[in-house]
Amino acid sequence: MTGADPAGFGLAEEVEDLRAAADRFAREVLAPAVRDHERAGRWPDEVAAVVDGFAGGGCLTRAVLLETLATGDASGLPAADRPGPASGAVDACPDRALAAAAAEACWLHVGDAQTVAWAPGWPARRWVWVSAGDRLALVEVAGGPEPVEALAFGASGGVGIDLGGSAPVGAWDLPPGGGLAVRGRARLWAAAVAVGVGQAAFDATVAYTTERIVFGRPVAHHQANAFDLAALATGLHGARLAVRDAAAGFDDGDPAAGFWATQAWREAVAVAVAVSEAGIQLLGGHGFLVDHLAEKRYREARMLGLLAGGADAALDDLAAAVLDVPDPLLGGVPA
Amino acid sequence: MIGLDPASRALVAEVRDLGRRHMRPMGLEADRTGDPPPPDHELYLLCARRGGLVDRTLGPDPGDAEPGPTWRPLRALLVAEESAYWDRGVALSLPGPGLGGAALRNAATPDQRERFLAPFADHSRAHWGAMAMTEPGAGSDVARIRTRARRTGDGWVLSGQKMFCSNGARADWVVVWATVDPDLGRAGHRAFVVERGTPGFELLRIEHKMGSRGYETASFALDDVEVPAGHLLGGEAFYEARRGFKAAMATYNLTRPIHAAQGVGMGRAALDLALDLVRGDFPAQGRRRARALERLADMRRGLHVARLICLHAVWLARQGRDNALEASHAKSYAPPAVYRAVTAALDIFGEAGVRRDRMIEKLYRDVKILDIGEGTQQVQRLVVARRVLGLPRDE
Repeated sequence: MTGADPAGFGLAEEVEDLRAAADRFAREVLAPAVRDHERAGRWPDEVAAVVDGFAGGGCLTRAVLLETLATGDASGLPAADRPGPASGAVDACPDRALAAAAAEACWLHVGDAQTVAWAPGWPARRWVWVSAGDRLALVEVAGGPEPVEALAFGASGGVGIDLGGSAPVGAWDLPPGGGLAVRGRARLWAAAVAVGVGQAAFDATVAYTTERIVFGRPVAHHQANAFDLAALATGLHGARLAVRDAAAGFDDGDPAAGFWATQAWREAVAVAVAVSEAGIQLLGGHGFLVDHLAEKRYREARMLGLLAGGADAALDDLAAAVLDVPDPLLGGVPA
Repeated sequence: MIGLDPASRALVAEVRDLGRRHMRPMGLEADRTGDPPPPDHELYLLCARRGGLVDRTLGPDPGDAEPGPTWRPLRALLVAEESAYWDRGVALSLPGPGLGGAALRNAATPDQRERFLAPFADHSRAHWGAMAMTEPGAGSDVARIRTRARRTGDGWVLSGQKMFCSNGARADWVVVWATVDPDLGRAGHRAFVVERGTPGFELLRIEHKMGSRGYETASFALDDVEVPAGHLLGGEAFYEARRGFKAAMATYNLTRPIHAAQGVGMGRAALDLALDLVRGDFPAQGRRRARALERLADMRRGLHVARLICLHAVWLARQGRDNALEASHAKSYAPPAVYRAVTAALDIFGEAGVRRDRMIEKLYRDVKILDIGEGTQQVQRLVVARRVLGLPRDE
């Protein structure tokens, strides 16, 4: 940390290069085939392989890449990005051999509920990580999960599974705060994707509303709309900074990173939902048609807010930690 | 992950110490009496003797390989946030060149900079600078200022009226914005340094405010004030191609994130009051505590994001990069987030929060001006919309 860049805003050159490559891939390969991917219910193997190939690097690199790829098409990311939201569970599992074996085939379920409605990437992923409190478990799903169509992410091959009949493969008590770190990593994943989905929704909305004329001027130039869009642009900017800051916290070993990642997820989902809703509203009836991608992003943004236990589990985690997490900037300043 | 270098940590610790011992008590006293602390107050002398808190945000960073911006925006932001934590009004009253200093950095010639910033090297007493832009008929729309600047043989004559000039009555000089011709719009703007005591430059009054009472908010009359040609900020050539107006706006690009950071400090103050209450007075279990904890989490989220946006905007400024959009993001996001934090803290306090002997009540009155000064929320959205949506300027 230096006086000139207190929050690490400047990305390293190699991360910038990766981001630029992911951006080209998102624009040239993912975006043009969005509806094809949805119809197929999966990304083509070669597309998924390229996305998987972007793996590596720390949490910040990963967040930047997810955010960028999601601007092109997020619908296959839950299946293609491995271990994705379960990265924190894989890293935290004390049984390293088991963690390595489960790394390629898992999803993270948050909470004590006995059922989980949706898990992507099946049948490759027969194991599911379960996180509640500071307890981490890996369970093998029994029986034959049924394919289900989810609200969004149709190219991820989701299934409905019943954890109630599943056999535990292993269960561990993590150090205090370890559970929040695991869940924070999952939320960070969803938050980064939410920023990308939100950015794509915003860009598409601006493109449409600055071109279409109503009452003698572009839709976006009526002040009621301009003010709303400006506030959304500010919100997206803040969410992106929060996501990257939380990701850097994990990379730097900040014990409160799970708290800030959960905060970043709340921020990013709220903004993505608002942007994608405006994306339909400002397109009017067109926004409700599948001819535009506004409806897809509306569904994706909302669904990202339901993952990793949803809003209530996140609030539970934040409330449990809020009295103890120090100020991230001034915590080290002498009293 | 955000963090501070050792020198910045030391500066914050110093401000914290001054804040605890001086700023908070001074702010409460000013709030009670309605009068800002006098210019010869012990704190101001202390700040002056230490080289000034704000002054120390000037000058290059140690170790700078090349001459860069002669301003340390991060340090300025830290001083702003931490001092506003203790009392924003008193923070604004701290000695230093203020908004006028930002105008000097943007527009002044090297000679003017040296001359008008020289008093701040005198540590025997406190010095202030100020800037006067707003007029009774021109607030958010600064292009409509009507204070006239007329050329004379060897200088200029200024006539008009200014208001909302922070520290204006105690400043050594005030940067006054005027127009050579209102019909020219922004192209007619000129900035002048008017020194205290110049004949015709008359204080009309110190405003009485709902909150943030720790600093002067002055109104002036300019009654045919004669200023030398050398006091035209930047010289004549500077104002070609509407650079005058752009300089005014660039001033705000530097200061808006700092202004927003003051809000983060105030929000932190509200957060800490609420945290203390919940820790000490709330039952260990129960719905009221659970609800308060969720409110506290939301307060922390808003303040954290606001701080990141402010830091990002000054990070850009530090590199000499255009930060107009990001400065408006900061000024647009932070005040509402801080307002929500303060009102949430009030909800946590409940009826106890209405009492005038509770700091939280004062914060609620203090905080509202954040969303007005240096460009309202609505002005910030206009700036963002122009940049992001191509909204025409005259819409």
